[in-house]
Amino acid sequence: MSALNNKLWRTISKTKGQFIAVVAVVVVGVAVYIGMTTAYYNLNASKEKFYRDRNFADYYFQVVKAPQQVTKQIETIPGVAGVTGRIQKDVSLVNDFNKRATARLTSYTMPVEYEINSLQLLTGRFFAAETASQPGEPIRTGDIEILVDPQYAEGNLLDFGDTVNIVAEGKIVPLTVVGTATGPEFIYLMKDAGTLLPDPKTFGIIMISRERAEEILNLKGQINQVLISLVPGADADRVARQVEDVLEPYGNLASYPRKQQLSNAMLEAELDGLRASSRFMPAIFLGIAAAIQFVILSRMVRSQRLQIGIMKALGYRSRQVILHYTGYSVLVALCGAFLGTLFGLALSSFMSDTYAMYFNLPTTIGAVNTQAIVYGFVFSIVISTLAGLTACRSVVTINPAESMRPEPPKGGGKTLIEDWLWLWHRLDTAWKMSIRSAARNRGRFGITTIGVVFAVGMLVMSLFTLDAVDYMINKHYYQDQRYDYLVRFASPVKESELLNIERVEGVQKSEPLLEVPVKINFNGKSEDDVITGLEPGATLKRLSDQHEHPIEVPGEGMLISQRTINKLGAKVGDMVEVETLLGIGPSRQTPVKIVGISNQLVGGGCFVSLQQANLLLQVRQLVSGVMLKMDPVFSTGLEAELEEMTAVSSILSRQKELDNFNKNMEASLYSISVLVIFSLLLGFAIVYNSSVISFSERQRELASLRVLGFSIKEVSGILLKENLLQSLLGVALGLPFGYLMVKGYISAVNTDLYSLPVIIYPATYVYAVLGSFFFIIVAHLLAVRGVKQLQLVEVLKNKD
Amino acid sequence: MEVLIKLDRVTKTYHMGEVTVNALRETTMDVFQGEILVILGPSGSGKSTLLNIMGGMDLPTTGEMIFLGENLSQASDHRLTSYRRNEIGFVFQFYNLIPDLTGKENVELAADLVDEPLDVHEVLKDVGLADRMDHFPSQMSGGEQQRVSIARAAVKNPRLLLCDEPTGALDYQTGKLILSLLAKINQDHGSTVVIVTHNTPIGDMAHRVVRMRDGTIADIKENTSPLPPERIEW
Repeated sequence: MSALNNKLWRTISKTKGQFIAVVAVVVVGVAVYIGMTTAYYNLNASKEKFYRDRNFADYYFQVVKAPQQVTKQIETIPGVAGVTGRIQKDVSLVNDFNKRATARLTSYTMPVEYEINSLQLLTGRFFAAETASQPGEPIRTGDIEILVDPQYAEGNLLDFGDTVNIVAEGKIVPLTVVGTATGPEFIYLMKDAGTLLPDPKTFGIIMISRERAEEILNLKGQINQVLISLVPGADADRVARQVEDVLEPYGNLASYPRKQQLSNAMLEAELDGLRASSRFMPAIFLGIAAAIQFVILSRMVRSQRLQIGIMKALGYRSRQVILHYTGYSVLVALCGAFLGTLFGLALSSFMSDTYAMYFNLPTTIGAVNTQAIVYGFVFSIVISTLAGLTACRSVVTINPAESMRPEPPKGGGKTLIEDWLWLWHRLDTAWKMSIRSAARNRGRFGITTIGVVFAVGMLVMSLFTLDAVDYMINKHYYQDQRYDYLVRFASPVKESELLNIERVEGVQKSEPLLEVPVKINFNGKSEDDVITGLEPGATLKRLSDQHEHPIEVPGEGMLISQRTINKLGAKVGDMVEVETLLGIGPSRQTPVKIVGISNQLVGGGCFVSLQQANLLLQVRQLVSGVMLKMDPVFSTGLEAELEEMTAVSSILSRQKELDNFNKNMEASLYSISVLVIFSLLLGFAIVYNSSVISFSERQRELASLRVLGFSIKEVSGILLKENLLQSLLGVALGLPFGYLMVKGYISAVNTDLYSLPVIIYPATYVYAVLGSFFFIIVAHLLAVRGVKQLQLVEVLKNKD
Repeated sequence: MEVLIKLDRVTKTYHMGEVTVNALRETTMDVFQGEILVILGPSGSGKSTLLNIMGGMDLPTTGEMIFLGENLSQASDHRLTSYRRNEIGFVFQFYNLIPDLTGKENVELAADLVDEPLDVHEVLKDVGLADRMDHFPSQMSGGEQQRVSIARAAVKNPRLLLCDEPTGALDYQTGKLILSLLAKINQDHGSTVVIVTHNTPIGDMAHRVVRMRDGTIADIKENTSPLPPERIEW
């Protein structure tokens, strides 16, 4: 078969532009598949290993406080494999720059290996359980040793021996850093679901020995958190109910399974997104590559009808001829898969590096995923081969004797548009030729259109991320959240104490709030949420309903979040029972009427009047925080004053959150640019191929026009019109298709924690259209380069 | 002489749209082993159709085509392919070389198909193309292309060489050269050579001459003293 192989090579080198274009599409498909699948596999495997090695808890229970011994009682519950009781509490942290931040103080009993959610030392050494100070003496620097999470250490330039000061029980306590460590619950560090992104400058984990935690938090022999692991196959909900019963006397605050644990949920959401992308993106690229190959090979078989006839006359079997032509697509697949593997490995290492920046995983498994590579090859070869075989199936019907005779002209006839006489008569000849040519080549027309639809859809989808984020920033930081600072107190304070803050220079407006963590019960279902009490008429926090219309804080009743009302199966007008979970005082239960739905993009979203929030706790005039509108000139002064107030637990600055957000967006810009380039490449490849084929098929016709006196420009204009006919249809359909792709993607990656809104700005559609014009024009210009070199006489003589 | 192919009341009808063309009507004739047979006739007389049926490129609509006793008139595509592969060499008016292959590779394309092909170099040398075999068809003259085409047909050492207007696109001198090559193959390898042409003097080189008219055989003449092609004039 050596002569046939030579023929194949020469065919490829003659059509190298087309070959390279379609190989590039396969390369992207395979690279994305291998890159994302490997990144997924590695991230997942690192997670699984870490969870296993460090005994990641199956269920979490938060109580006000309980004696340490209660864990013994929980151990006896059938289905419970292991129990760890510990102290975990958010404390204010005054770091080296005297800025207020929050630390999640977490206690560990040595040796940590036997604990659930045990920690893994990264640098330095374990903290000492003992302290140099005697009970009752004030704690001095160097007395209490701690470990911090590596991102907090890095973000705040902490080193071995450095001191961090926390505010605990109203006192400033110096703690000495002896190393960094992490745990399976700290892989993705966010303070709470209301935070959009990790910010190591304002939130970190402090790991401390149980004895020292009891001492500084004044919780001798007490715990406030119980973690359990379950025996395989245990009914998690049933076990959880039994544990809650045991903990009932100690003030159940919250309980949640592993899948609701914030770090795990964020990690799983990322994995879900990765898995979805690793499936649909390669499918699009390999699918379009197959379509392009189908078009190329169909055309090749048609134009080489005579050669196929000769081969058959010589005695070649249809099967051999088909395999010869399919060899073209197999080579496309092999080249694409080979280069795609190289790029895919680079992509996966780039992605792993990015994940290492965001996720605290002690060991990142950087394995080369052989299975992904094998699948990458198999997928691309199978898909290409199928495309090739389908395109070449007409070889069977080519009769050697008939092939020697000129092919009868295709059934001409009128196109549908020709019936619309008013339109048809207004078209110039070039348009008429283009329309008829498109109608004659409906298959190619359709495939090109579909290819453009996907390319444009992908452009829309790539750019959508920017819109969604911009929309979220705009809605969250500019529309909903109109304050410059949100100051929270360690525990609720009397409203009158706000005067201290209101009198600070530069405060233009202040509005109090009371945040109450609650469990909302309805019809046997219950959901944890946070109710925020605001003054009716509050202006610094804007609420909106599910239709984005602004709504007021009701005087009575509650605005409930869409997510919670859905989970409860309740509706507006229903009475729900609200159970407070604040760690002070007994839990209270109050029936509250749902009077509306509030639509918050991020975080919990139930709102009542400040007075009603106080009623829920059966207290009066308490507030847990204050929103401030500031004259920006005085911001620094305000921050400095607030840092001095020990009652303040956290200070959220809108500007700083925005800065953090924008910094994080830079990384996304890379991936968005890559996606945009991929989409343009996809569009280019399909339009280029279709244009090249259209040009070569019509060489004779175009040469005749040149002979008649048409200029080069006029002739390429005819090709451009045909090209635009299919591309513009593709663009027009691609825009709504992009919207659908975005919707599909969003529903694939939606999580309980946050939902990206399906928001696409008109400008994005404009950019997508401009981008598609770019690839259409470039593809067209490259494809019709040959118009200048049309050999008029030769082309007219040549019968093939 | 032994009969190689027996055509018995062969008809061929084409339907082209609403038009029915009777390309062959009840044609009966034999082709003998080792002979040079020239089929003469004006265009449209059915001579190419007859050749295609003999060559297994087309099946008769009715009637029988028997090759060495095997009835091939209803043969499967698979059987016809084997038949063409092992028994037939084609030479076409427009050479029909594969443009992407060099002269030598075009010959190899055919040689690859059979178990015991002739030596590709030898065959190319025999047709006088030893120096030009690495050129592509587009770089060759018509005569050179036709010589490649003959080499391609001959390299399989087929029992039957079917030539459709082999000189139709060539000048006088080159045409005679091509006919000499065909006669030489007939002599050296004993292949049966069937030449279809509208050029009557070529009949002088044949052992037998078949004249066709309107899809049927007008007469068959035996030529007891065939002329060497060099001596034919037209």
